[in-house]
Amino acid sequence: MSRGGAAAVAALLILLVLPPFFVDDYVQFILDLILVYVMVSFGFNIVLGYAGQLAFANAAFFGLGAYTLAICLGRLDWPFPAALFAAAVVGGAAGLLVSLPALRLRAYYLAIITLAFGELLRWTYVHASGLTRGSSGLGVPAISIFGIPVASDRARYWLFLALAGLTLWGSANLLRSRFGRALVAVRGNEAAAAAMGLAPAVVKIGAFAWSGVVVAIGGAMYALLLGRISPESFGLSQLLLHFSIVMIGGLGSLVGSVLGAVILTAAPELLRDIPGLEEIIFSLLLIGVLLFMPKGVAGLLGRLALFRERLYLT
Amino acid sequence: MALLEVEGLSVAFGGLAALSGVSLAVSAGTVYAIIGPNGAGKTTLLNAVAGYVRPASGRIRIDGRDTTDLAPHAIARQGLRRTFQNGGVWGEMTVLENILVGVDHDAQSGLLGILFGFGRDRRTERRAVAEARAILARAGLAGIEDKRVRDLSFGQQRVIEISRALVSRPRILLLDEPAVGLSESEREELGARLRALAQEGTAVILVEHVVDLVMAVSDRVLVLNSGQVLAEGTPEEVRGDAAVVEAYLGSA
Amino acid sequence: MFAQLVVSGIGQGSIYALVALGMTILFRVTTVVNFAHGELFMAGAFLIYALLNALGVPYAAAALAALLFLFLFGNAVERLLMRPLANAPHLSLAMMTVALSYLLRGGVRFLWGGNVRSLPPMFSFAPIEVGPVVIDAQDAVIIASTAALLVLFFALMRYSRFGKEAQAVTDSTRGAALVGINVAAFQRTMWGVAAMVAAVASILVAPETMLYPDMGARVLLRAFAAMTLGGFGSLGGAVAGGILMGIIEQLAGGYVSTAMIDIASYIVIIAVLLLRPSGLFGRAEVVRV
Repeated sequence: MSRGGAAAVAALLILLVLPPFFVDDYVQFILDLILVYVMVSFGFNIVLGYAGQLAFANAAFFGLGAYTLAICLGRLDWPFPAALFAAAVVGGAAGLLVSLPALRLRAYYLAIITLAFGELLRWTYVHASGLTRGSSGLGVPAISIFGIPVASDRARYWLFLALAGLTLWGSANLLRSRFGRALVAVRGNEAAAAAMGLAPAVVKIGAFAWSGVVVAIGGAMYALLLGRISPESFGLSQLLLHFSIVMIGGLGSLVGSVLGAVILTAAPELLRDIPGLEEIIFSLLLIGVLLFMPKGVAGLLGRLALFRERLYLT
Repeated sequence: MALLEVEGLSVAFGGLAALSGVSLAVSAGTVYAIIGPNGAGKTTLLNAVAGYVRPASGRIRIDGRDTTDLAPHAIARQGLRRTFQNGGVWGEMTVLENILVGVDHDAQSGLLGILFGFGRDRRTERRAVAEARAILARAGLAGIEDKRVRDLSFGQQRVIEISRALVSRPRILLLDEPAVGLSESEREELGARLRALAQEGTAVILVEHVVDLVMAVSDRVLVLNSGQVLAEGTPEEVRGDAAVVEAYLGSA
Repeated sequence: MFAQLVVSGIGQGSIYALVALGMTILFRVTTVVNFAHGELFMAGAFLIYALLNALGVPYAAAALAALLFLFLFGNAVERLLMRPLANAPHLSLAMMTVALSYLLRGGVRFLWGGNVRSLPPMFSFAPIEVGPVVIDAQDAVIIASTAALLVLFFALMRYSRFGKEAQAVTDSTRGAALVGINVAAFQRTMWGVAAMVAAVASILVAPETMLYPDMGARVLLRAFAAMTLGGFGSLGGAVAGGILMGIIEQLAGGYVSTAMIDIASYIVIIAVLLLRPSGLFGRAEVVRV
């Protein structure tokens, strides 16, 4: 990294650390939520944008992360780091599991099987009430990290910032490595990738597993933020939000995922008060992006040459 | 012993025989051409050898090891590389990245190292890039390494595809009509390059329409017609074969 | 009890069969898997509800209006949303249908709210009793109508020029264009036809079931289960799979637990795709990469 680049990163970090000193509780909540959705959309983008696989399991990974954290903390009395680790592992395992059919089946089967998987999980949250308290929802206790309580909204924001920062930094490195190249190679031309000795199946499994890890950590953060989770938070409207963030931000773009999360999470609460309005607005945005702006906001910015991102996808 | 042996290979698509009872043997350090009219089964033969098509019967061996039932990537790991008739480059990647995918193959690095950029993996990455640049320089592509492949000419894409296939020094190289779309001088260059490869010990297998190129560079030629072997021998033998002249060369 | 459950299953399954059939028709000529098909069915049902309740038109008129409206709507979707993406990656086409599904669901929720609504039963004649089995009047109508429609549909596919064109486009769009079929126009018509088949299902169930905005998503997954069971892309398979799915659901509900009704289709999808991806009737398909 050049000296200028390092200075820019340092400045950005300071900017990101400061907000809790200046904003009220509501804005703080929105900022936390944005960090959650940055994780979610980024993880989804690995599967949808980088691997080019149509899968509907994202809300399922999200829910698994949230429930695993809540159960490990509240039911098993695990310390937070262990519970978080468990959430990530469960998410990764779920990613691995749903990708298995992707290996030998045609593309649309994957979409269907992941849709079924997500609904099956939601049914399980409702019916495994001994573990999840069913529809009435499961509370998430306050946490502490190695004895230090995360008591204030401020502390929680910094925790989220650290989690998101580490995960995204790692993922960015991953996508810039040979693994990222392999992913794009498999997406671009599977036969040619195999001809170079890459096992397409292994590459896809890797993408799904990592996606599961990232999204589940996002889900765990979501559970912490809300303090109580219930099955209906992880259904089709959650999935629509994930789709919209990724597509509107920009398929296959890291920066796009961040932009999409900021834009859609900051969307006025008003939308949620009128039934159906959120669905209408988001789906119209989605249609507009598909028709007129296939690379999303990131693509638009790229065209204006305001910034350049090293993408393997355009 | 031959490096690549194909024995009694038959392939059928929905009941129609695409290949029946094809056998051949290719030694290291030779150029072996497969010719024949359209629909003779040339590409099917390449696909079967590389694992993309499952044969109905017959065996394929690389260096004595049976590879008939292996998946394409597993066969590739036996030291076999191929190019595709319609081009197998990744258009959305840069030239350098295309080559890097070939180089990556030898890299050894752990997940944590990749995620958080530990020193060893940084070095691996830097070494891979340096190697890829060197390969591009040797192929005369040094100036365009950061261009997107899909913005390049067809001929350049071809060169990139072949360079990529050569990165890990394959023992066997399958080329599916590499001369299509190349100019006269580019063809001559290609021919010289194939001979040089054979000199270094690679077994080059060439499916080609351009008869002049085949006759100039090949050590042996196999003529396919309707999925069956019509003739096999040195270019001179094949050129003199009455059946071949009748079925193929005569009408060309 | 077994026979009773099977009969109810056939009634339920007829609806799944119709929805799966509409999706399969479209899939064969456009290779698009329409994730909005369940919502077309849902929108049709709400349209009938609105016409009956707000305007007080007779049921037959409402049904006709639903058929016509969905045919036109299907055409419009093709022209405005799908055609512009003709050269886009397949992922975009599927995403577009996903977006459409949410738009329809949101639209209905916006207009009618999230509450469950219902219509008075269309037929009031007494249930038919065959030995110990009681066939509900509405079920009888659904089963008979579905059977009649299927006979008509398959006769059309087999004997009419339209059916032959559909087969040609299914086999190869380029080949179909060569023999003079306007493929784009044909695909647009098929969007209309597929939407109309969804409307048929709406007409049959509207008087019997609860109407709510998420009913389409529920039926969509069952239709997917039907298509998976019958072999994806097979018209006969979609119908057989749909009816089988209805029966499986009822038997699971009757013998295991009513909660099973909700997840029987998910389990069927996952099990069939993992164990026998070509479906119960299809031939094994080897994808080798």
